[in-house]
Amino acid sequence: MSIELGHFALVLSFALALVQATVPIIGGRLKSEALMRVGEPAAITGFALVALSFAALTVAYVQSDFSVLNVWENSHSAKPLLFKITGTWGNHEGSMLLWVVILAFFGALVAVFGRNLPRSLRANVLGVQGAIGSAFILFILATSNPFARLDPAPMQGRDLNPILQDIGLAVHPPLLYLGYVGFSIAFSFAIAALIEGRIDAAWARWVRPWTLAAWLFLTGGIAMGSYWAYYELGWGGFWFWDPVENASLLPWLGGTALLHSALVMEKRSALKIWTVLLAILTFSLSLLGTFLVRSGVLTSVHAFATDPTRGVFILIILMIFIGGSLALFAWRAPTLSAGGLFQPVSREGALVLNNLLLTTATATVLVGTLYPLLVEAVTGDKISVGAPFFNLTFGPLFLPLLAIVPFGPLLAWKRGDLAAVAQRLFAAFGAALAVTLLVYVIVDRTSVLAALGIGLGLWLVFGALTDLALKSGLGKVAAPVAFRRFTGLPRSVFGTALAHAGLGLTTIGIVAVTTLEVERVVAMQPGESVEVQGHVLRFDGLQPFTGPNYTEDQGRFVLSRATGAKLGEIVSSKRFYPARQMPTTEAGIRTLGLSQLYVSLGDKTPSGALIVRVWWKPMVTLIWLGALVMMAGGAVSLLDRRLRVGAPMPRSKPVTATQGNRA
Amino acid sequence: MTRKQKRLAIIAGALGFLGAAAGLTLYALGQQTSYFYMPSDLQERPVASGQRIRLGGLVEKDSIMRGDDTQVRFAVTDGDHTVKVTYAGILPDLFREEQGVVTEGIFGADEVFVADTVLAKHDENYMPKEVADSLKEKGVWKEN
Amino acid sequence: MLFWIFAAILTVATALAVMRPFMTRKGASAGGAAHDIEVYRDQLDELGRDVERGLIGKTEAEQARAEIGRRILKVSETTEGVAGDDRNRTVVRLVAVVAILAVPLVSWGLYLVTGSPEMRSQPLQARLEQDPSNASVDDLIARAEAHLANNPQDVRGWQVLGPIYMRLGRFADAETALRNIMRLSGESADLQASLGEVIVGKAQGLVTAEAEAAFRAALELEAGNPKAQFFVALARAQEGRMPEARAAWQALAAGQPEGSPWREAVAQALAGSESAEEQGEKETPPGPSSEEVAAAADMTPEDRLAMISGMVAQLDARLRDNPADADGWRRLIRSYTVLNRPDDARAALGRAIEALGADTPESAELVAFAAGLGIAVE
Repeated sequence: MSIELGHFALVLSFALALVQATVPIIGGRLKSEALMRVGEPAAITGFALVALSFAALTVAYVQSDFSVLNVWENSHSAKPLLFKITGTWGNHEGSMLLWVVILAFFGALVAVFGRNLPRSLRANVLGVQGAIGSAFILFILATSNPFARLDPAPMQGRDLNPILQDIGLAVHPPLLYLGYVGFSIAFSFAIAALIEGRIDAAWARWVRPWTLAAWLFLTGGIAMGSYWAYYELGWGGFWFWDPVENASLLPWLGGTALLHSALVMEKRSALKIWTVLLAILTFSLSLLGTFLVRSGVLTSVHAFATDPTRGVFILIILMIFIGGSLALFAWRAPTLSAGGLFQPVSREGALVLNNLLLTTATATVLVGTLYPLLVEAVTGDKISVGAPFFNLTFGPLFLPLLAIVPFGPLLAWKRGDLAAVAQRLFAAFGAALAVTLLVYVIVDRTSVLAALGIGLGLWLVFGALTDLALKSGLGKVAAPVAFRRFTGLPRSVFGTALAHAGLGLTTIGIVAVTTLEVERVVAMQPGESVEVQGHVLRFDGLQPFTGPNYTEDQGRFVLSRATGAKLGEIVSSKRFYPARQMPTTEAGIRTLGLSQLYVSLGDKTPSGALIVRVWWKPMVTLIWLGALVMMAGGAVSLLDRRLRVGAPMPRSKPVTATQGNRA
Repeated sequence: MTRKQKRLAIIAGALGFLGAAAGLTLYALGQQTSYFYMPSDLQERPVASGQRIRLGGLVEKDSIMRGDDTQVRFAVTDGDHTVKVTYAGILPDLFREEQGVVTEGIFGADEVFVADTVLAKHDENYMPKEVADSLKEKGVWKEN
Repeated sequence: MLFWIFAAILTVATALAVMRPFMTRKGASAGGAAHDIEVYRDQLDELGRDVERGLIGKTEAEQARAEIGRRILKVSETTEGVAGDDRNRTVVRLVAVVAILAVPLVSWGLYLVTGSPEMRSQPLQARLEQDPSNASVDDLIARAEAHLANNPQDVRGWQVLGPIYMRLGRFADAETALRNIMRLSGESADLQASLGEVIVGKAQGLVTAEAEAAFRAALELEAGNPKAQFFVALARAQEGRMPEARAAWQALAAGQPEGSPWREAVAQALAGSESAEEQGEKETPPGPSSEEVAAAADMTPEDRLAMISGMVAQLDARLRDNPADADGWRRLIRSYTVLNRPDDARAALGRAIEALGADTPESAELVAFAAGLGIAVE
């Protein structure tokens, strides 16, 4: 019964989403308090219903209820419990349901925590959320219903794609969706503001925490996905410029731009129209990402269970929401008033430059991702755009962006003094330069690129530290005072510093691993050794092993330093999942400091030797550690008291400027 | 400068920058994209040796030959024509006979395609989209 | 029934949630301007904190304060629209009624189309615990499988399941079962021979090198094992070494007592081989050289297959250059049939007829020969 109840709850949530999409917005037009108030209970109840529905599906997975088509197609009774649970969203239908659960979750959050929002804005935001929700629930019910039944029920399922039977599936899609879908709130705010025709600095402050939260999760989702692909696919790559990866990078770039432009809008009431447009575009890119991943119109190595017919449905949703919102924007934007003035050299100027570079970079990635579609539509030729294209276009746009990051937080609002800022950053620049030279001379004389890239990353880290030091007055005031000031700094200052430093760390990781990586592909007999970067790896032979729903050949390796010191064992294996008749490669990875040794098994040669691929990946973990630091920055910013503006007392008298000036 | 002039200057600067970015993008699209070919396409439109392309098709049955080192030879076919491919390295887990595959690389002097990338997706029913489309056109492969 | 009660409860709860704002008469909330001013007041507080910490200069602070003050003034000036509940009461009521009715109507209407309310949940564990007497074969197998997944050391379970798999044609599962039995109870000639048979089944009747290895292992353990003898002979036959195969079969039949099922099987096999032979060539064809055969014996199954394929490909190529060779065509067609490549065999037959001439006696003979192998002209 629970399955059908889950199904019913989903249908009911669709009916409710329709109400949520219409009634509060009509209420806003009619200025009817009661109609506008329908939004909150609808959003909260809607979340409860889709959550119930998702729980019912999860229960069906845990109980291996093969009378549910979706469970039969993607589960197996021998699968470990964790993968039964994560398998719920390891397929198209379940992942779309997760998408909707998260959408409803954000809607409910707005309903609960949105008391500081003006009545009509809140009503319109929830209305737009309801519209998005109803479109996607209808999509699920019409084309990808996870509750479709199977009668008679088979006794055994077809198992989950083995690549997905990994802890990565537990973390990556939920994080990614929290990011994708979180931007829907920024989108709803933008549409709500356009419907009302009123937008001001306060709007930016209200939308900022939501954007920040979405950005934080998306950062985590992308990083997790990258690490997952890195260790699970056995190719040792962390980023392939694959369409599905680009689909997640695009909203991240847009969201990063939005975060920065909203800052200008909040402080100076400038860039209003631009910020609203960015909010629309960022979520549009999220929708586009969903479409690309789900439809399979582009060849991707990461796409699972795609279905072109469903793609058409998503394409229609895409066109309605993106086209509709852009039309509304074109109609309403000219009526919005212009904002404050600023000099080109100022905090605002730096943030505008940041936006210019970020959006252009977004555009190049978008062009590179969609160009094959365009060419095929026009000429019928099939082409692929790969890493060389992105390195040539994205690189030159992103490098100057990284170079100017440390300047931004040090510039004053309205009118900044570039020379003074440059002087203050001198120490950071000197330190970064020193390390650059050190890397070049000591580590690798052949790679100027490696030294420069690592220097650039350190420049970001040192720049962030300089910002913190200057803001706490280090060197100008006595040390205890400076320390007190340091601890009293607004959280958002720490957030900025952490995010920028994290970006620097990720840069270092990417540069180091792409320029200094060492790869060996060798055919090894048991007992043979291979040397990589001062480490010796001895192959001890293959051992069969039986897991719960797979069998595997474990290649056992003993790792030691060239000096002879033992570092332990590395196990890398080739698995075989009989339910799907599918092999996978489980890489053996050993972390040594920030670097990793990565061992992946190939096939046997005719003479019985095993092909083994060994990589030395210097400082590779920094790529993901940097992302964690960026996320920490986002989290610290979210805790800033600025983002916790209270709600006014009902029916309070309008406050005058003098009253407000009590600070 | 008046407010209007200043704004114009900024917009002009931004447009110039965007123009440069667009130019770079177009240049890169011209240089850095690789066309997709099936073995039969190569009969109609020969490819100069040294030009980077993607070659797709089915891995021909019984064509996979492993050397004692990491070299692998196999043939990619679309039912009508066949192209020999060599590749050094570890093949994807789902690389199998009579499965769809996309390889990327250049033609050597001896008409053998030297691949540096071999793609097969992580799905057991995987058929790369380009390959599936082309095979459907030829009627070799049908959706079940 | 219970389902409908729960569904009704959910529906009512949802409708109530929509209805709530109309039932509670709450005072109108603060106007939009008040919310904006709350934000600006907070900005002023923040500015004050920044000045205290010395993060911002006096003049900048004054400027910023003035700017925020201007925003507050501007917001205060905008007149608040009066709540319109009174003016649009009928419209509001209409919207409310439609919204509340939409919840049950849309949900029940849609669910009756998409749902299967009569179907119960069927958790696997509960199904396994059902009374076995009214369970289907599939159910019983699944039960045994579930049991073995938890107790893979239970040799009896595998012994029961193995033959069932074999009969159902689930050769891969049967192979797993047999290997488990051998792992748990040790090897025996019968088990090895059955394993070989399963592998033959997996290869759709072709005695592969892997299968033959299993049969040889069986013969090591028990020289007279009839199943192993039979299949080894079949392997010879499939290689085209008919005299050897026939001799082996005859020896097998001679060694069996009257009424043994193996006599029957041998008789059938011999009859089949003779009919194939009659249509086949009279003289022995030039096969692979003895060195090649010796080499093949040491190879892994894949390599052997590769070598055979290679030789067939050579033959194929030679016939393209030199197509007037009826014997060659015959061998090529048979090779493709043995390699389980009927399409190639058909293509070869087509080419042969083209090369030899459609109405020649050679062609007719070839067509008859191919028909014996189950290959018809396209």
